Amino acid sequence: MQTYWTNLTPQHRRSWLLVVVYVALLLAISWLDFGYNTAGQTVFRGILLGMLVFLVASGLSLIFGLLDVLNFAQGAFLLIGAYVGYDIYHSLDASVEVRFLAAIGGGVLLVAAIGAVMEAGLIRPLYERPIFQIVLTFGLAAIFLDFVERIYGRNPKQPLSPPPLLNEKFTLFQQSLSVYRLFIIGLGLAMMIGVYILLNRTRIGIIIRAGVQDPEMVQALGINVRRVFTLVFILGSALAALGGIALVPYQGATLEMGNQFLILAIVVVVIGGMGSYEGTAVASIVVGLTRAVAEQLSLEHFDAPVLAETSILLLMIAVLLVQPSGLFGRGE
Amino acid sequence: MIERTVYRTIDRIGDPALRRAAESLARLVLENWFYALVVLVLWQFPAIVADLSGSEVTPRRPTGESAFWQSEMARALVLACLAMSYNLLFGYNGIISFGHALFFGAGGYITFILLARVDQSYQQEALIAVLAVVLALAILTRITARRLVTLALGGVLLVLLLVPNTPGMTFYQAAALAVLGSIGLSLISGVVTLRLRGIYFTMFTLALAEMFFVLAKSGTFRNVTGAEDGLGFGDLLPAALNPTPTGDGSRLQMYRVTIVFFVIVFLAIRRYLNSPVGRVIVAIRENEERARTIGYNTFFYKLLTMIFAGVIATLSGVLFVIWATDKRVHPEMLSLKFTVDPLLHTLIGGVGTLTGPVVAALGLILGETYLRNETFTLETEVLGLVPLWQFAVGLIAALLILFLRRTLRPAIHRLAGDGGRWSVLGAYLALWIVVSAAGLVAGGQVVPDLDLQDEVFDVSDLWDLFLGIVFVIVVMLLPHGIVGTWNRFWITRRIRRMERALQREKAP
Amino acid sequence: MSEQMHLLEGRGLTKEFGGLVAVSGVDIRVRQGDLHSIIGPNGAGKTTLFNLLTGNLPPTRGQVLFKGQDITGEPLYRRVHLGIGRSFQITNIFPNLTVLENVRLAAQAMGGDSAKFWWHFRRFKQYEVAALDAIAQVGLGDKVGIPARILPHGDQRKLELAILLASDAELLLLDEPTAGMATEQVPVLIETIQRIQQATHKTIMLVEHNMNVVMNISDRITVMHQGEVLAEGTPQEITRNETVQKAYLGELYGDFAEMMGGEAP
Ligand SMILES: Nc1ncnc2c1ncn2[C@@H]1O[C@H](COP(=O)(O)OP(=O)(O)OP(=O)(O)O)[C@@H](O)[C@H]1O
Ligand SMILES: [Mg+2]
Repeated sequence: MQTYWTNLTPQHRRSWLLVVVYVALLLAISWLDFGYNTAGQTVFRGILLGMLVFLVASGLSLIFGLLDVLNFAQGAFLLIGAYVGYDIYHSLDASVEVRFLAAIGGGVLLVAAIGAVMEAGLIRPLYERPIFQIVLTFGLAAIFLDFVERIYGRNPKQPLSPPPLLNEKFTLFQQSLSVYRLFIIGLGLAMMIGVYILLNRTRIGIIIRAGVQDPEMVQALGINVRRVFTLVFILGSALAALGGIALVPYQGATLEMGNQFLILAIVVVVIGGMGSYEGTAVASIVVGLTRAVAEQLSLEHFDAPVLAETSILLLMIAVLLVQPSGLFGRGE
Repeated sequence: MIERTVYRTIDRIGDPALRRAAESLARLVLENWFYALVVLVLWQFPAIVADLSGSEVTPRRPTGESAFWQSEMARALVLACLAMSYNLLFGYNGIISFGHALFFGAGGYITFILLARVDQSYQQEALIAVLAVVLALAILTRITARRLVTLALGGVLLVLLLVPNTPGMTFYQAAALAVLGSIGLSLISGVVTLRLRGIYFTMFTLALAEMFFVLAKSGTFRNVTGAEDGLGFGDLLPAALNPTPTGDGSRLQMYRVTIVFFVIVFLAIRRYLNSPVGRVIVAIRENEERARTIGYNTFFYKLLTMIFAGVIATLSGVLFVIWATDKRVHPEMLSLKFTVDPLLHTLIGGVGTLTGPVVAALGLILGETYLRNETFTLETEVLGLVPLWQFAVGLIAALLILFLRRTLRPAIHRLAGDGGRWSVLGAYLALWIVVSAAGLVAGGQVVPDLDLQDEVFDVSDLWDLFLGIVFVIVVMLLPHGIVGTWNRFWITRRIRRMERALQREKAP
Repeated sequence: MSEQMHLLEGRGLTKEFGGLVAVSGVDIRVRQGDLHSIIGPNGAGKTTLFNLLTGNLPPTRGQVLFKGQDITGEPLYRRVHLGIGRSFQITNIFPNLTVLENVRLAAQAMGGDSAKFWWHFRRFKQYEVAALDAIAQVGLGDKVGIPARILPHGDQRKLELAILLASDAELLLLDEPTAGMATEQVPVLIETIQRIQQATHKTIMLVEHNMNVVMNISDRITVMHQGEVLAEGTPQEITRNETVQKAYLGELYGDFAEMMGGEAP
């Protein structure tokens, strides 16, 4: 812990302080303004939202860190994961548990496959033209969205019921909640830790981190960086799909949710610092909390949700004014 | 060819004054004849459509094809101006902004908020504000007295011109104030954003525009912006600029005003690019650090370009509202759509080409309008031979292999052995057959009753998909866009010739 | 010695990259009209020192003075207008612009017309004339219309010099102008530099690995090693200097040998 702190650059140390002060401020405001129970509920909602955003944002961040591609199709991946998962869940004839697991597995695998084809076939030929990669993912996102709409229709899908075990109720801050929400938070935490271990404790992770620093060097060491690129792209896509499926029992599936979460995820990645994994994790929670508190504030004090809608963007603008390369980004 | 002959002939003229005059005349004609021709066609476009469709140029009710296409063409020209301004930033200066819609929307909103909501005179307040600014400058900075006086006089003159002492203001005053507002917006956002690098800059501009989009939509400011319903301007427009009446020639007149606007924007951008500033911004795009090292304050030039592009976008926004069918300013004008559309037009037409964005904007917008108004009968067989869906499967398989060819190359070569070009081709063909067959079998299982009867359907439904696919194909196969590829074809030949000459020189 | 004015002065210049100290407490004075060479093994910090003097990089500590004025806070582009121009070790040009345009831009930067977006650039013939002059001086006169990117490497080095000449700066900082050039071209370029100095009495700072060249044309030499100044003096003083000899002949024999022999082609 101490070595972690001393190894940080002064800039990143300042970022940590800012984050701590800001979160403390948010907590204080909500406690003073909403009272103990509502504040607790709000914070819980914020953490939940943060975890969901993290699933999309971590993929975005991984892909950007290594490939330098801002993958705008990440929102579409979430959407495909959600709809395909929903479809599988309803078309299978088995117990709820099996259907639920099959939905997760099927959605994630399909999106991973799409990611693989997309990286190998479309993105790879464009490494010399980075702007085109971004724009390409933009175009592909539009196409994916269109396909989902064509196949599954415009109507929102109802939330599906998770296995009974996850469907039980518990009470927190005088609010009765489904255990499924804890499951989402757990999933987010597991992914956070899992990817951290992958990046820091495994050979492939070391290659990925080295590749983020200096791809040519890694290539020169005789490692096939291109294959690692594809792998990371697949991993990133799969994380987004997982986020999508996790969302369905919670809020159903709509065509808009892809873009909603994409924007949140982009904000998170920018705030956290492009390509910084810890930055993404911290920023997810901060963004989730900000959004939840702003929503509650709008609800209690204003008759319109302007504050809720602009809070995230304001946060991003503020952070970039203070730290031009995000909280934990590589400065120049 | 012709060019060279002309210039060579001119070179032979003895009298230097005469020669110079002839040269500038020749340059004027040779550089502009094509554009002049295009403008002429645009000018006559209503008459051409009228002739082709048998409708009238200035019809009383019911309005016909010509009147319809006048407004469609005008809208396309306005959006072409927006695309050109985006290309100025993106293609020539290398600034990738995702917030361009902010300036487009600002044009609509500032103009019509001022028109619709200002119901008293603010002249005194404005004069006091100008004097306060001048005073502050005098006290806080070491500005020279002469500059200060010029500034004060200029400010007072502007106020007298733009802020009337009668309640409300005219359309022209409001539009001029919108331009001023746009310049202010560029200055503020430029100072803040231009120090950010790369993707951070892009995302910051995106967030800024999104903010205003959300604010414009929000019910909180309903009595200013009209929230989702937008702002109606129905009778606020001066008669000379109102394109709605067709019978008295108003629409035709406004159509021509739009062409004039388009031509002015085109010429202004071309002059900007050919000016000393234009050369500097291209240098910045090429190598910003080097541009700084030879003595350019690159920040200033980028800011100037942002202001210039912003003003054009703002004016386009005003015209866009004028041509809107429902006569309202909508929050949509501030949405990402009006950043992405010009970006697409720029990419498809050719990044950093003068005419590319125009070609793409006109082609795509008019093409969309045309297709949306038609219905097509989809025959379920291609050429009466292959069922359509089978054909599609084959096509998709071919495209898939095409896109994956780099990845597939080792496998293909292993398959082909070393039998040369033909066996490689054979291997690709075999792969295609296998993939198609798999697709056909799978498709036959999932959709056994696809090929039943001819279907009449509406293209409007398919347009977005079509656009997305065109877009991916252009990005993958035509990276320099339509005009860019065309230009490159000629430039590459010239450069090859130069390279060969350089090598010849090295050889002996 | 002190009656000659110091055109450029660095005081305690230090640059740290993370933990690495690339330049450490360097004091350097360049006299008006001198050809002042900086030598030192690879990684000694010569390029970084140049970057600090020109403002391409901000120093971690220390000051830069030009004509006795503190310019440490002045941005890069303003120093050019004060009279400090530089060329780069790694060719740094506008690849897709023509040779003429590359140089013309440098000339244009020095005039006051660069912000006039309402005139055609052809109106300002004087910059084109100045550019053509600079191009002729380095011997690229027959290649003005060629995109810089397709020039052979040697010509790109000459272009780099032409860009600098067009800036008409009083002080020229040349960072290995001959880097990567074919050996038979090196003397031609060095001669050009000498000719320019004699004709215009410009002050020149030169980084160069070829010791024969350095010893022949320099008025003064600064030896750098691991970010620090090891010695400074006339070429004679440097060859006689014991620290330099010890450092190079002792543990760093290899480096010195390399320096004496010039760079491998
Ligand atoms: N931008 C940078 N970031 C990190 N380290 C740097 C940077 N620029 C230079 N260095 C390091 O600083 C040290 C000095 O480098 P510099 O380029 O100044 O040496 P040099 O004397 O010019 O060498 P050469 O003869 O090879 O040109 C080197 O160790 C180099 O790796
Ligand atoms: Mg160097």
